[in-house]
Amino acid sequence: MFIGVTGYNHESSAALVDRNGVLVDFYREESLSRIKGDKSFPKMSIRKILCTNNLKVKDIERVAFYERPLSAFLHIVKEASMHMPKSLDLLTHQFRNFNRSSVSCYLDFAKFFKGLESKLIYSDHHLSHTLTALAYSDSKEDISSVVIDGFGDRSTASISQIVDPTEINELWECPYPVSLGLFYSSITDYLGFAINEGEYKVMGLASFGDSNSKSAKLVRGLMDWDSNSNKIISDMSYFDYHLSISKSYSSKLEELLGPARNPFVQLIPGNNDFQRCADIARGAQDLMIYLLGKIFTHAHKITHSRRFLFSGGVSMNSASIDSLAQLPFVDKIIIPPSPGDAGCAIGAAFYCYIKSSSYHHLKIEKPSLFPSQKEKRNDEFLTEQIISNEFSYLERDEDYAFLKAAELISEGKVIGTVLSRSETGPRALGNRSLICDGKNMNAVKNLNTVIKNRSSFRPTAPAMRYEIAEKYYKLRPEIYDCYKSMSATCKCLKDNVSSEFPTTHVDSTARIQIVEKNSYLYKLLSKLEPMGIEILANSSLNVSGDPTAFDLIDGLMVCLRTDLRYLLTDLGLLIRKT
Amino acid sequence: MKKINSELTIFFETAHAELASALEMLAVCKETDSPKQAFGYFMHAKDEYSHAKSFFNMLSLRGKSASIETARDFRFTPPSLITKGYISQKGFLIETMQLKDFIAFVYTNELLAKSSFEKILTLVGRSTEEGKRISGIMADELRHHGMAKKHFLIHYPALQPWQLMIYRTKETLNNKGRKIYDANLKFLDRLLTPLYRIMAFLAGTISKKLNLNEFKRKGKNLMNISTKSIL
Ligand SMILES: [Fe+2]
Ligand SMILES: [Fe+2]
Ligand SMILES: [Fe+2]
Repeated sequence: MFIGVTGYNHESSAALVDRNGVLVDFYREESLSRIKGDKSFPKMSIRKILCTNNLKVKDIERVAFYERPLSAFLHIVKEASMHMPKSLDLLTHQFRNFNRSSVSCYLDFAKFFKGLESKLIYSDHHLSHTLTALAYSDSKEDISSVVIDGFGDRSTASISQIVDPTEINELWECPYPVSLGLFYSSITDYLGFAINEGEYKVMGLASFGDSNSKSAKLVRGLMDWDSNSNKIISDMSYFDYHLSISKSYSSKLEELLGPARNPFVQLIPGNNDFQRCADIARGAQDLMIYLLGKIFTHAHKITHSRRFLFSGGVSMNSASIDSLAQLPFVDKIIIPPSPGDAGCAIGAAFYCYIKSSSYHHLKIEKPSLFPSQKEKRNDEFLTEQIISNEFSYLERDEDYAFLKAAELISEGKVIGTVLSRSETGPRALGNRSLICDGKNMNAVKNLNTVIKNRSSFRPTAPAMRYEIAEKYYKLRPEIYDCYKSMSATCKCLKDNVSSEFPTTHVDSTARIQIVEKNSYLYKLLSKLEPMGIEILANSSLNVSGDPTAFDLIDGLMVCLRTDLRYLLTDLGLLIRKT
Repeated sequence: MKKINSELTIFFETAHAELASALEMLAVCKETDSPKQAFGYFMHAKDEYSHAKSFFNMLSLRGKSASIETARDFRFTPPSLITKGYISQKGFLIETMQLKDFIAFVYTNELLAKSSFEKILTLVGRSTEEGKRISGIMADELRHHGMAKKHFLIHYPALQPWQLMIYRTKETLNNKGRKIYDANLKFLDRLLTPLYRIMAFLAGTISKKLNLNEFKRKGKNLMNISTKSIL
């Protein structure tokens, strides 16, 4: 058995791969600790992996950490040291927290899982991303990998050519501090949203902006592609992320674009500062799409490949994938369901496996979108009193529960789901979701604002079968797999009713989910379609600011903390007592 | 300016503390073997979540009128529950404590929490909407305290109320100790910061000369790089 682990810099997680190249289990630490974006050493995840799969430390052959800790540390220090004394705070912080950086992962293993530390090996950060993406690709040979994130352990973007899983040659890199990911995060920060979380909001906001506005053009000019040297160029004087611990943009950016936004002031369409913020977001999104196009074009030029793996935090920018699919040389783009750092644990676990004697030619099984083992723990027993005091059963039998849920949805109700295994990635695909009739304006509004308390400028995703999606949206076969994990948006067909759907964004796009056969949403839709409902609005089951619900208790808690009344679970359909 | 800063600090820190206690309760709820206890901790967690929400609302109301620089410092990011020490790096209390000690901990801390809310109550005014909300929270804490006490006595009937008093005194002292330790640490920190900065400057001067180019990967097979190297 092989374990892969991430942590310290971004969301931590742990994954388990067996000797046959099968991903057996995976947990994000935030799911278990309930601390969103938890980046501490993933002790709960590793413990859960060992416990759920009946494993002892001796059963683990190798453990891989997803990056080279000292390299990550030194690159940041080296860059900051070039800008003293301005960067002195950052340097002081780096040195003082040396023992809390990923350099201490060896010691943490020794402390929490005695014996595992001696089995520890290290992968490259971008290699871990690549291997994660490769696992989800049907073909494991002759494919190009594009990784773009904030910062890995030496570069911020890279292109490699995968000959086969044992030969992955890096051909191009973008050295720190120039970074497309950190640029987008800086704009996120400037717009008053939290880094690593608010990027989705910037993306949603961009749709309200005007590419020809002054603000958008100014942002658009902050970075460029130099076609002579094939490098991303950036005027670093607008950014402070490489010099400061608390601020990612510089005062020069504020001189250029006006004052940053106060994070506590709500951003509402129509309000005074809204348009300026939306235009800035538009500029950032335009620049993102432009540079991604350049990077992919270069990737094609140097690898001659027409098939691409795309991973790293930037690949979560679902609004830019549709334009990438239109590049003339693209046959296929694969984005793993968890393309950010949390997903790297999967790549790191596969790294152990491929480096071991168990690996035989291309024997890597494509994981499903729901990897964690079903909880062995008896939910029914533990939640017995919570349910009997606060809830009633509407239906216990699975088929009837689904039918009843379908009826409620057709009446405009919002339903929460806690079914079987939790999703691998950040998007809820039906097992930990809040769902309602995707064409019912009031229901969607209720889901969005009353229950989720989401900003009004963020769209909700519609979920449906492929045949239904074809009727309404311009789908691109190159990114078909991306639709399954909500990784790409698409345009509504011209003069089509879909532009009026409540799940359609102002720019006539939607982040659709094509529902996989044999999934719970598919089952639910099969009951709904005869009732005339073919599209569900689908959002993650959580209270705003919290991680997505992981187990039944989390789901029940969402009901008690919000106006959500119905919960479809493995135990049956529950209704909250009023 | 200073006033708004210290006010924001109070709501910011209290919201952290309440959220952390919600997570602690949720952790026990999932850890216990008794459905009855699970229910008790579940409802307790729900209360703490709602307390946290109230304090975040009070924070956000005041944050709107603060300068952007100040407001940015009070933006909540969940991992700071750990970096600020509201949740231990070692894990949740239930993972590191006996259940019995945990109950005693809850018993005493609910009372201590209640008394710290008195101060906030004075700040917002008793008769304001916020004041009423805080009074409500204080009533919750008193109820939690009562429950913990009952729970404790049911499970450990041999223990007398006076023994709980000892627990309480111990925890009060611990809390005071934590505060003094924290204050000392902050003082020490101020004292040492210039030293740290000088050290960072020296280390930075050396780092400038670092040549990281030899660790570049261009043209290399990433699968062939030593699995043991941390660089
Ligand atoms: Fe990354
Ligand atoms: Fe409380
Ligand atoms: Fe309490």
